[in-house]
Amino acid sequence: MSNQTSDVVNEVPLETSRVLPSKPATRKTGRQTAAVYRLLPTPLLVGGTIVLCAMVAIPLLYIVFSSMNSDVEVARGAYFPTEFTLANYTKIWSTLPLGNGLMNSVMIAGLVAVVSSLLGIITAYVLVRFDFVGRITILRGLIGLQSVPGGLLLLPVFVLFASAGNYLGITVIGTYWGLFLAYLTFALPFSTWVMVTYLRGLPKELEEAARIDGSSSLGVLFRIIFPLSWPGLVVSGVFSFLLGWNDVMFASVLTRPNTQTVAVVLQIFGSSAEGGALPLYGQMMAASLVCAAPVVILYLIFQRFLVGGMTAGGVK
Amino acid sequence: MSTTIKKDAALRRAPELGGQPPAKRRRTVSERNRPLWMLTPGALLIGLIIIVPLILGIYIAMLQLDQYTIRKWISAPFIGLNNFVEAFTSTDLVHAFGNSVGFSVIATVITVPIGIYAALATQNAYRGRSLVRSMFLIPYVLPSFVVGSFWRTMLQHDGIINKALTGLGLPAGQWLTGPASFWVLILVEVWAAWPFIYLMALSGLQSVDQEVHEAAAIDGALWWTKLRYVIFPYLRGPVALACLIATLHHMNNFSLAFLLFGVPAPFDVQVLPTLVYSMSFTSLRFGMGAAMALISLLLIAIPLYFYLKAVRLDTGTDAGGKK
Repeated sequence: MSNQTSDVVNEVPLETSRVLPSKPATRKTGRQTAAVYRLLPTPLLVGGTIVLCAMVAIPLLYIVFSSMNSDVEVARGAYFPTEFTLANYTKIWSTLPLGNGLMNSVMIAGLVAVVSSLLGIITAYVLVRFDFVGRITILRGLIGLQSVPGGLLLLPVFVLFASAGNYLGITVIGTYWGLFLAYLTFALPFSTWVMVTYLRGLPKELEEAARIDGSSSLGVLFRIIFPLSWPGLVVSGVFSFLLGWNDVMFASVLTRPNTQTVAVVLQIFGSSAEGGALPLYGQMMAASLVCAAPVVILYLIFQRFLVGGMTAGGVK
Repeated sequence: MSTTIKKDAALRRAPELGGQPPAKRRRTVSERNRPLWMLTPGALLIGLIIIVPLILGIYIAMLQLDQYTIRKWISAPFIGLNNFVEAFTSTDLVHAFGNSVGFSVIATVITVPIGIYAALATQNAYRGRSLVRSMFLIPYVLPSFVVGSFWRTMLQHDGIINKALTGLGLPAGQWLTGPASFWVLILVEVWAAWPFIYLMALSGLQSVDQEVHEAAAIDGALWWTKLRYVIFPYLRGPVALACLIATLHHMNNFSLAFLLFGVPAPFDVQVLPTLVYSMSFTSLRFGMGAAMALISLLLIAIPLYFYLKAVRLDTGTDAGGKK
């Protein structure tokens, strides 16, 4: 796509290449080089960056400060606490079932991450290395399925799971398995797509060598492809985890109180806290931070891999 | 793939091929022995959780299915297209449809300049740039339910935002109900979603060759001319794709509206996902909910169509939304 648009631009360096020495950048002083590559004038660069940072940081610091403030102060609209306290962080565990929610979320999202990465790499391997009828359709489907609105599937999935209980005697709603299956399926198109883009970059020669040595497809997959693909697996695993962690819609319908994920716990707490005489805003901010922490930490650890993954499939 | 390997492999397997004509012996490894069975787990899952429910959804949309008939939904009365007719004539559907379109398009339009600016601003190295880059991504990686819950707190009547406004001498407002709520939803979505445009613009900027900068400098291009005629053409592709994907995500975003306003959402901020949800799980009119969900698919179909056309599915080196 960018090939077409950049045609015009590509002519510019071709014409000037006669004038320019082959490696001009190295012959210039650092200052000149910086000026050549600069995109924005300094005042605009500095000013805008400060504005953007403030836009991001002010609400973020608000959560942090409020989480260390008393409920009354936050409700009154205070930004800075008059006295810092960590009491909210000890109280939240008893005012809302946060521990249980965190446990459920870690379990479900973690399992989704592992299984969807595994299935993703297997599916992607077949799609990348073998040619068969319907292959392009499947690739297109992987993109299309990522955009299917959850709201469209929520009700039929609920009815389907409810029928499994009514007609087959298998309880699905309210169990971990129902939610796990749903998230796994929604994560799969993206995981597969990430692995498709990743496996395309792997050289075929190693696999061919292994095949000549008599390795089966499964052998190739697990002995050759798998060890080479862990950066791709990290991306698909983390995003599958986040899908399970961030979802509210399915979790609010498919769970019972003891299987609620942390997203639902926080949502219920948020909507019920305001009904009370004294809204527990300080505690709500503390709980929000606790819910956000694993996600932000995961992202900071794997930032290098994830940024590519975010643009690869357009997550979220 | 070299021919010798193909040949070797073909010869090795020759006995198994039995009576095949010699011409076919030269087929590559990838054409024989395709382990298509490996696709079955994924296919089963997608069939069970996506395809079957989709079909089921179409059927349910034609049933009079509510809390009384849900127990035995198979024998619920079949009412054809009545749900669809009723959805258009006597519910908030058309209003919600308009809200969804307006919300998604406005949110995308606002995020584009911010995202492009942020990409331009972080392209050149300076001290502290990596910190700025990490910070730019935080709104995007925060879960929607967290974003929703703290903005909701900030936007309370006695909350920090009204306090700041009155401090500046501006009138305080009702942000979570009434006409302002629609703009609040856009504002919060923009806050959380602009880094996606930023990332895509950044990937576009990375494809600009050094020589292009040098050529522009030699021609004496001013910064604005250089951006307009030299840099922006590189960004057009990735940013256009980003807009499509972002619009799709805005349209499908349920969590944020749900967390900010709850269900049933206030009239002014009723978008399709929240309407479908409240119709199904608050009013318990399941048939109607399914019909509305199907109608909302129409909304997704337009950006999705262009997205599928834009994505290159089968190139050897590069794929899809990237680069």
